Amino acid sequence: MSGTLQKDEAPKKDMKDVLASVENIKCPVQRSQKFVEEFLSEPMCGKCHPCALGSYEALVRIKRISSGTGTADDIAAIQRIADDMLESSRCIKGKDTAKFLLNELKKDAFRGHLDGHCEDMECSSLIIYRIIAAKCTLCGLCKDACRYNAILGEKKVSYRSGYLSFEIRQKRCVKCGDCLPACPYGAIEVIEQKTAVLA
Amino acid sequence: MANMVNLKIDGKDVKVQEGTNLIDAAETAGVHIPNLCYMKGMKGIGACRLCLVEVEGSKAPLIACNTKVKEGMNVTTSTDRVVEIRKFVTDLIVSMHPLDCMTCTKAGTCNLQKYAYDFEIKESSFSRKKFGYSPDESNPFIKRDPEYCVLCSRCVRICKAQDTNVLEFSGRGVGAKVETGNQKPLQESGCTFCGSCIDVCPVNALLESDRWRKGREWEYEKTDTVCLSCGSGCSISVSTKDGSVVKINSGAPDGSIERTICAVGRFGFDSLIGDLRITSPMKRVGTELQETTWEDAVGIVAEKLKAAGTDAAIVSNGAILNEDAALLAKMAEALNTKNVSSTVSLYSGADAMKSGGADLEAADFIVLVGIEPSQWKRVLPALDASVRKRLNNGAKLIVINSGDLQISSKAAAALKGDEAKMLMELAQAVISKGTKAPKEMIEALAHLNPSDDAVAAAEVFMAASAPVILAAPSLYKAAANLSLIKGEAVAVPLEANARGVVAMGLGSKGFSETVSARSKVLYAVGELPVSSRPDTGFLIVQASHMTDLAAQADIVLPSAAALESEGTIIDWLGRIKKVNRVCVPAGDAKQNGDIFMAVAGAMGASLKPAKEADIKKAVKTKSKTSFASFTKEEGLDADPAAFMQEINKATVNGSRLLWLKELESCQVTA
Repeated sequence: MSGTLQKDEAPKKDMKDVLASVENIKCPVQRSQKFVEEFLSEPMCGKCHPCALGSYEALVRIKRISSGTGTADDIAAIQRIADDMLESSRCIKGKDTAKFLLNELKKDAFRGHLDGHCEDMECSSLIIYRIIAAKCTLCGLCKDACRYNAILGEKKVSYRSGYLSFEIRQKRCVKCGDCLPACPYGAIEVIEQKTAVLA
Repeated sequence: MANMVNLKIDGKDVKVQEGTNLIDAAETAGVHIPNLCYMKGMKGIGACRLCLVEVEGSKAPLIACNTKVKEGMNVTTSTDRVVEIRKFVTDLIVSMHPLDCMTCTKAGTCNLQKYAYDFEIKESSFSRKKFGYSPDESNPFIKRDPEYCVLCSRCVRICKAQDTNVLEFSGRGVGAKVETGNQKPLQESGCTFCGSCIDVCPVNALLESDRWRKGREWEYEKTDTVCLSCGSGCSISVSTKDGSVVKINSGAPDGSIERTICAVGRFGFDSLIGDLRITSPMKRVGTELQETTWEDAVGIVAEKLKAAGTDAAIVSNGAILNEDAALLAKMAEALNTKNVSSTVSLYSGADAMKSGGADLEAADFIVLVGIEPSQWKRVLPALDASVRKRLNNGAKLIVINSGDLQISSKAAAALKGDEAKMLMELAQAVISKGTKAPKEMIEALAHLNPSDDAVAAAEVFMAASAPVILAAPSLYKAAANLSLIKGEAVAVPLEANARGVVAMGLGSKGFSETVSARSKVLYAVGELPVSSRPDTGFLIVQASHMTDLAAQADIVLPSAAALESEGTIIDWLGRIKKVNRVCVPAGDAKQNGDIFMAVAGAMGASLKPAKEADIKKAVKTKSKTSFASFTKEEGLDADPAAFMQEINKATVNGSRLLWLKELESCQVTA
């Protein structure tokens, strides 16, 4: 396949940049997803089928897992794609991507995700942000920080009573994490969606 | 001869030429190595990875398409490891391919279907991908449906190899798509509709536009024959169903550079049926042509010819078969008339049509002398494509022409000016470097001081090991002088059986003089570049289609079209090619030779068909190349493009090619 880049337009991103983009991500599933996304966005040259078609399929499967709809089949598929890409890709870029995936797959996290656990609290579909009512001082800083207008609540005014704690509207929350550093009292927690439902 | 290499493939001993790749080598041992993107004769690109094989001593599997054989190599083509990779890639491709094999036209020849079957992929284990691309169905020749594309890039590469450069990739990976360069329909993208892309497409992404519900590959009967539309005389493979032609593909061996045909050869078969076709003999009654019987028509023709005797004139085109031409010559002999001629005399002398052959496949250097094969102008399009394929494979080109040619941009040197003079300068430049040449030539050129261009061209010529000089017949003798120094020279005629017709004795006299000789009876055979009735007492036209000339005839005899005839031709490289009957002649039409025998019979002369040995003998008589003066033969300047148009008029006007012709005329005026 040769939907290739023209010679004169050298790729702006290379494999180093792809690797750098996942440096600060801890969750293996998130790391894999970001890695493959970045890989597909530029360094993937498209000169051979296993890598061009395989990494796209791998991304489809990783996204399923990170969104909580993944199954054991998806993990097996990613494993197969990575194994075969390592064997049959034309160049080092495909092989490096395969190696990266194989390395991440070794971690238990993939399996954990099937049950809704993202230990690193990075897979947004598996987690929720919640305000701990007991700690909330009704200062309203989190509401100011939220760009998505996802936080409900009334700022406290002196000498008035009957306030309820601030609350995050889950439907509006995109899990950007901006509210976390905004709260001086540590009143916002990130928990697995699964445990939240149980609670 | 290249060195032979011994190796083992799947335990079988294989002996092949040095430089062969593993796919081709395995084929000789009857082992098929799966592949989607490999094209025989072109460099392997290793995109599909299906051809990965294991070679002893190599840790990683190697791509068979681009791995050359080595002495003592031990290759295993189907280990678990590589079979898994093949399954994996096929699985991925199936995940983005429509699963409609039950109605797909390419079912049975589709490579993806074959591999899915071989690897037991009933449906893909990967997620289904749908693109929603719309097909390009805006022309009557080629349908492109990107939904089916497996991104093998064969079509893109074959189009580039022929320098037509219409198809290109856009995007990468799963989102890649084959498009025209300007993303417009084919007819607005400089496409010549040669259909080479159809021949190479492994799936249903490219196919003939009219194939829907016209049967599938296993229902077709395939016949190898030759296209007689122009001087290239291409091998074609014709598929018929229930006696009628469904499609035509290139018939040259896989991997040969001659594996190209053009739109006329591929799509002109519509003209076998249709309004323009003559299906019964006709005679002029008053001002009208009326149908009559063979008996009546042949009787009249015989009577008129006999009465005219030596005053009868016979003309033919250069596309009638050897056997037919031989019978026509004998008929002329029986009439004792010397007024026999063929259209070959419009562009070639007799000697040029006996030139030696050449190996185009191995040519590393090509000289075009006074000819302009062009896919776009539809002059010897297949030859143009072959030459360009060679050039793109590293061969060098020198163009010697008085005009500016499109192909000159690809030439190592272009000598513009009077061709004979340029040839002299080139020869002198070569000789002045101390190369051996016949004495007469050295003497004849001694006074000449070659131009810088000629000196540069001479350097390329000397570096070449297998030069092939392709010359216009009028310049053949002059160009052949070069071949006395090195290489082969061939005269390139405009008609498929020009050499055969001359060899059978029909080329000697001027065609124009014979036509305008005020003969008592003129017997015109085949489609001729004559549109108004010549000054003759009685005009007999024997043709497959109602040409302008036939419409003005006194008697019209329906002849079989090329695809309905059987015999041989001698192609421009001097090879005998078998022409096989693909379908029965339309209506009452008969093959030329049968008509000649019937006419001669009615005149009381019995003609015997030519023997195979006679034709073989005729091929062997080749003119000896000896030094001739560097001059252009006079009177052979038929304009190739106009001539081609004239002789293919009925094919074009009677088929979907008319659409293209009209489109092109619109574009010129627009």
